[in-house]
This record gives sequence, C-alpha cells and structure tokens, in this order.
Amino acid sequence: MNMSHFGRRRFIGAGLAAMTLPLLAGTRASAQDAANIRMIWWGGDERARRTNAAIDLFKKANPQTAIQAEFMGWDDYWARLATQVAGGNAPDFIQMDYRYMFEYARRGAIRPLDEYLGNQLKLEDFGKVNLDSCSVDGKLYGGNVGVNAFALVFDAKAWGEAGATPPDLKTTWDGFAEKCAAFMKGNKNKRVSATADGSGQETLFEIWLRTQGKALYNPDGTLAYDAADAGRWFAYWAEMRKAGSCVAADVQALHKQSPETTPIVNGRSAIDFVHSNQFEGCQKLVQFELTATGTPVQDGGKPGQYLKPSQLFAISAASKNPAATARLINFLIAEPEGAKLLGLDRGVPASPAIRDAIAADLNPNARKVVDLISSITPLVGALPPAPPRGAGEINEVQIRISQEAAFEAVTPEQAGANLVDEATAILKRAG
Amino acid sequence: MGAIRRNGAGYMFLAPWLIGFFCLTLGPALASLYLSFTRFDLLNAPEFIGAQNYVRMVTADPKFLASMKVTLIYVVLSVPLKLAFALAVAMVLNRGMRGLPIYRAIFYLPSLLGTSVAIAVLWRQLFAADGMVNGILAQFGIIGPSWISNPNYSIYTLVVLSVWQFGSPMIIFLAGLRQIPTDMYEAASLDGASPSRQFWRITLPLLSPVIFFNLVIQVIEAFKAFTPAFVISGGSGGPINSTLFYTLYLYQEGFSYFRMGYASALAWVLVAIIAVFTAISFLTTKYWVHYDD
Repeated sequence: MNMSHFGRRRFIGAGLAAMTLPLLAGTRASAQDAANIRMIWWGGDERARRTNAAIDLFKKANPQTAIQAEFMGWDDYWARLATQVAGGNAPDFIQMDYRYMFEYARRGAIRPLDEYLGNQLKLEDFGKVNLDSCSVDGKLYGGNVGVNAFALVFDAKAWGEAGATPPDLKTTWDGFAEKCAAFMKGNKNKRVSATADGSGQETLFEIWLRTQGKALYNPDGTLAYDAADAGRWFAYWAEMRKAGSCVAADVQALHKQSPETTPIVNGRSAIDFVHSNQFEGCQKLVQFELTATGTPVQDGGKPGQYLKPSQLFAISAASKNPAATARLINFLIAEPEGAKLLGLDRGVPASPAIRDAIAADLNPNARKVVDLISSITPLVGALPPAPPRGAGEINEVQIRISQEAAFEAVTPEQAGANLVDEATAILKRAG
Repeated sequence: MGAIRRNGAGYMFLAPWLIGFFCLTLGPALASLYLSFTRFDLLNAPEFIGAQNYVRMVTADPKFLASMKVTLIYVVLSVPLKLAFALAVAMVLNRGMRGLPIYRAIFYLPSLLGTSVAIAVLWRQLFAADGMVNGILAQFGIIGPSWISNPNYSIYTLVVLSVWQFGSPMIIFLAGLRQIPTDMYEAASLDGASPSRQFWRITLPLLSPVIFFNLVIQVIEAFKAFTPAFVISGGSGGPINSTLFYTLYLYQEGFSYFRMGYASALAWVLVAIIAVFTAISFLTTKYWVHYDD
C-alpha cells in the first residue's frame, strides 16, 4: 500500500512538473543559477573512469552545478532505476537503453527534449537517422551517445593456421557454413570450433530475418515471422552443430550475454557475434588479435544490419533541472572536450565532427570499431520498428528455446513453433 | 497503565526490534499482499485485478510449474543429504579429539562463505567443462560433462554446493550430542550394545528434537535458496530452466519484467508452501521426536 501511494504521488508530481517546467526552464536558462544534477548510468570500471573525468571537466567549467553520479552493472541497473522512478526519486540524468526508451517515454517517465534542441542541445550534425532512432512517436527523448552495429568478430591467426578464409562483408549464410566447414577441416586445436552458436542471439536472428525481407516485429507490435521461419533458423544452426562447425550446446550455454563469457574469449570458437561497442572489451580479454566484420548476407537479399543507438542520455520527467541536465548531455555527446573523454566506450559518436575530433587519440582497436561502422554504413537497412512491450522477455525465451534445440530436447521445427507460440503469448500478456 | 510502567523498560529495549518489525517487515509484507492482487509495473500505479495473478499461476504458467519442480527436487535432495553429512561430521568431532575448536571453525567456514557470490563464482569454475572437477576425473580416464551448463546435471552441482555448507546444522548437532549423558552409552556398552545399535537406540532418539529443529530450518532455507542459482546461471535459471529456483523466477518476474503484482503473488504462494511444509513437520513430531520429560 505504501507503494501505491508513492506511485500516485509520483504521477501527480510528474504531471505538475511537466506543466510547470517549460515555464521555469525559460526563466532558469538565462539565470543559470545553482543546479543539482543526479545522474545514473550502467557500466564497468573503464567507463566509470572516463565518465568521471568528463563530469569533473564539466564541473570545472560550470562550478555552480553539482553532480552526483551513481553507476552499477546492467543487471542491477533496471531494477534500481524502476524503483527510484516508482518511489518519486528519479535521477535527473538517466542513461537509457534503446529498448527501454519506448517503455519509459510512453509512460511519461522521461521528458521530450525537442524544446532544448538548438539551445542547450546542439545536435544538428547528428543526422536525421541518429535523431529518429532516439525518438518515440515523433518526439526526441534522448541524446544519441554512440552508434552501434552487430558485428562478426574472428581470430584471424586461427583462421590462417587452419588454412581457411575468414568471412567478410560479402559472405552469405551458405558461404558462412562452408567457410566454417573449411576451418574445421584444417583445424588442429580440437578445443576450438569455427564459430559460436548464434541460434540464441536475438539480434543475429533479426539480421537473418531482415536479409529475407522479414523482421522480428511489425510496426503494430505483432510478431513479423512465423514458425516456419524460426524453424529454418534453428535448423541452420542444428546443421552447423552436426557438422561440428559450431560449439557444443554445453559450451554455448556458458554464454551469459557479457564479453567475458563469450566462446571466443574463452578460447572455444574462432568466430563470435557481439555488438560493436563490445569489441574493445573482448579484445582486452584475449591474447590473440580480433578482427571485426559484418554479419553474413543473403545473395540478392536485403541489408540485414542496421545502426542503432548503443545508448541514450535522457532526462527524467520529474527533474527539477532539465535545462542544466540538457547542457550536461550536450557536453558529453556534442562537445569535443567531453566526448573525447568518453571515447568510443559507449559506441561510435553520431556526429562526424566529434568523430574527427577524437580520431587522433584513438588506439588501433578503437580505430577498428570506427572502420567497421564506416564500412557497413553503406550496407545497412532502416532501423527496425520499435520493439513492443515484452520484447526483452522474448529475448530470454529465444535463448532457452535455442538451448532446448541444441541439447536436442526438441527438433528445430518444434523449437520454431514453440518460439512463435511463447512470443505470441508474451506479447498478448504485455499488450 | 501499571503494566506498561512495569514493563516499560522491557518495551524500550525491544523498541529497535519492534520498530524494525512493523516498519521494515510487517508493513512491506502487507503491502506486497495487496500488490499480489494488482497489476503493478513500478512505473504506473497498481491496478486491482482480483485473484487473476493466482489464477494464472495455476492455470497458465508453465514456468511456475517448472520452477516449483526444480525447487522441490532441490529441497528433497539437499536437505536430507546436508543433515546426514552434518550429523556425521558432528559425531566425528564429538569424539573429544584434540584441537576441536580449530576443526569446528574450519568445518564451519564454508557456511559463513556459503551465501556469498564469491563461492558461487568459485563453484562455477570448479564445475565448468575444463574446471577442476573434470581435471580430477580426467586422471581416471573419465571425460566429464560441463556440469553447470548441462541441463541434466546443473541442479546437482547446486545440491552439492548446499551440502558442502553443512556448518550451521553441524554446530547445532554438536551441541545436541554434548547434551546426551555419557552414562547411557556406558550402560549400553556394558549390556553389549554395538556402536550402531547405540546410534539407533540412544543417539538418534535423544537427538530427535535437534534433528527436528535443523530439519525445519533447512527446509525453509532450501525453499529460499537464491544466490547460487542466480550467480551460476547468470540470473537466467538456465540452461533450459534447469536451475530456475522458485525465488529466481520470482526475481525475474519482479525485477527483469517488472511484474511486481505477479511477483508478490508468487512470494505469498511461497510463504504458504513453506507454512504447509513446516506444519507437516510439526504434525509428524509425535511419531518420531522424543522430548526428554
């Protein structure tokens, strides 16, 4: 019952804030009096070091602004943020994920930023695509912190030793299977398979669907593939498993969606699939050199990959200092001094000017990420429709069902049918 | 009035606990009881939906049944094994060996560390495909599976982890064993009773209240187990829901999918289940627990 009171109070508070703040913002921006910004974000130590350095620099330039930053791992982050928002205690500055943005925006927990565009937020050179990808129902809800793509990473030395050619931007799905088979033929190290098992990777499944002109979700939030599509996806990986090209089920099951648990980092595969901003993280964990390229394509098919914001900086609807927070966001993503300190840790900056400004300081690994984004940019398709509520849960279901298929508890066809059934049920429940 | 004055000092001393109980335990518990009849996603106000959450659980939630099955297997396997192991170690330690406090401390150590994340991480390393356990098996020419990432074995590694943390029931057993008068054993020896007969006829009956206490506590603890499964499966309860403890499912519903109403309902069902198991334990005491009076 306590909770319900908080909920209601927060609602009224948010409503009042939304009504009065635009008025206040006008008067405040000129006065620029003392502002107190609470900031929350997820990430690890490297990101903390970079973020704190950037905050310190901002405080030096804006001594009247106090900033309290709090960070934690991804797992704890969403529970903590939701609890704070529900408790009427939302931080001003919220690091947001693309998927959660829709949920928070549509429930009025984060505020539209359009009124700050051209004033505190100078995002003119971000390009339409990178502003649209941070918008919900036509309103901008966050500053794009970095552009991200799904990438295929491989161990070039292992491929060389196996006498096989690694995949490139033109490799088709069939070609990918053949290359992996060639790798296994020449491979001496029996611990290593050619590739990780991608069947449980939602983004890879999405890319595969898109190369065939399909998608995960329709714009109305319904499922955009059928049981036969999903069945063919699981069958593709069952073939890979049977051929010995991809890692065994119990190896892939150790993957917990973090760089240090990927098969390639653990020396079990010579190919893996990660988001481009994780490339440097993976590279730091291994002795051998990683190379990044695009995911497989379809002959005469459509582009499967797309660029999405790795994350956004958003402002709480309940923030008392939205204008000051917007200035901080601008400093971090659109001013070279701040953006330079953040580097590529949150993705490749959307602004070409910022990209140029930080280019000189990039280490070779960071440069590879920029090169990857630049090389696939001409090949990408449009951003997929917004994921519906419940999409996060469907991601977990796909992981489980891919394991059921990999451990041969169900056939690939049955796995495809199960995925569609369960996903449909989740969407119905969430909708 | 007089009573309050007479007991005032007592209530004062109790106040920290009473305040904590009413504000931090009873209040939230009642709130969660209310929430269990709502749909509540933390961001919007709770919406009252009657008993729908409870109905869904029993009619349309295979994950609820899966998590219940995993938890029951865990309780049924880990509790008796752990108690037997704890009793065996306690009996060895009760022989009046030199340096008993040191051994006692060493054997108790895993229980202190037991609920910590570090131990679960260690466990993950021990039982991984190329972990220490398989390294030892390899010495005997056995190629072990990846215990923690194979759905056929993962739950058993968690049972073993639980049994390994036998320290607290062991300490209680040890205290109980100390209470059994030694003259009973002497008399039994004189009458020619074998050690195993002494164990079944003297030790077990006289220890039964302590066994009962340990049983109730361990059953409750086992139902509430969360950390090892959370860490070892990375919060997923996988592979294929094989380590989806009930509490882990509850956590997922509440904190991964923000269905606080449903998570609250799951929590209250867990309370009811633990109450039933405890009640059964209490009702059966007259058949096997001997109080010394």
